[in-house]
Amino acid sequence: MNPLPLLLTLSSLLFVLGLFAVLTRRNAILILVGIELMLNAANINFIAFWRYGSAEADLTGPLFVLFSIAIAAAEAAVGLAIILMVFRHTRSTDLNRLDSLHG
Amino acid sequence: MIPLLILSPLILLAALGAVWKARPVHAALLLALALAMVAVLYLTVGAEFIGLVQFMVYVGGVAILIVFALLITRPGDEAAEVARRPSSLVMGLACVAPVLGMLLYAISKGLPVEAAEGANPKLPVEALGRELFENSVPAVLAVGVLLTAVLIGAALFAREPANKPEPPASR
Repeated sequence: MNPLPLLLTLSSLLFVLGLFAVLTRRNAILILVGIELMLNAANINFIAFWRYGSAEADLTGPLFVLFSIAIAAAEAAVGLAIILMVFRHTRSTDLNRLDSLHG
Repeated sequence: MIPLLILSPLILLAALGAVWKARPVHAALLLALALAMVAVLYLTVGAEFIGLVQFMVYVGGVAILIVFALLITRPGDEAAEVARRPSSLVMGLACVAPVLGMLLYAISKGLPVEAAEGANPKLPVEALGRELFENSVPAVLAVGVLLTAVLIGAALFAREPANKPEPPASR
């Protein structure tokens, strides 16, 4: 049996879990956790199609995963720095309290 | 196939814990566990290099960064995170369910039936290096510039301001 559907289902469920965390969490750092899960789901897709999907040898999937990991690391660093700055101003990472631009 | 069948539920359980756990530190540690098991999954399908990179960057870097950020910000109002409002849960499920449905439908209908059993059983690291540094040099340079900018920007953001502004009165 071809494992491709199994890996794709796994990555779909991971993506959906991450999306759920992004939509329902209130702590900004835990929203970043959800974003990391979603990025990992995408990476699993790339590896799954490289390994089980393509008929000829090419390296596009692993290349994309390498770049995606580098950019995810950058995103986490900048996101956490922004959260630290927000925390310094408001003493909280609860996004529901960041409503000072609310009309 | 057997390792995949064992690993997939474990990854999903750890990710579910990371999404569901009320205590932020538990969530972050479960995220680290899920990322580590994804690295093991890469190792089992033959992408050893990617697995090691995933282990070093995600487990060694991103997860630790998140744990440190949690320690620094020390959310005093963990109760707020526990009391996830039912309305937001319902809205979250309502948004997530159609996405999951679409993805699963696409997987069940859209895949070519004669998907290859795999022409790429092993990731050739030498070929990957050649591909990176011969054919995609501009992209590598762009990522280098991006990481430098991130380093400078994160240091600027996280720097303690010289004249500390008073925190606004809590509401």
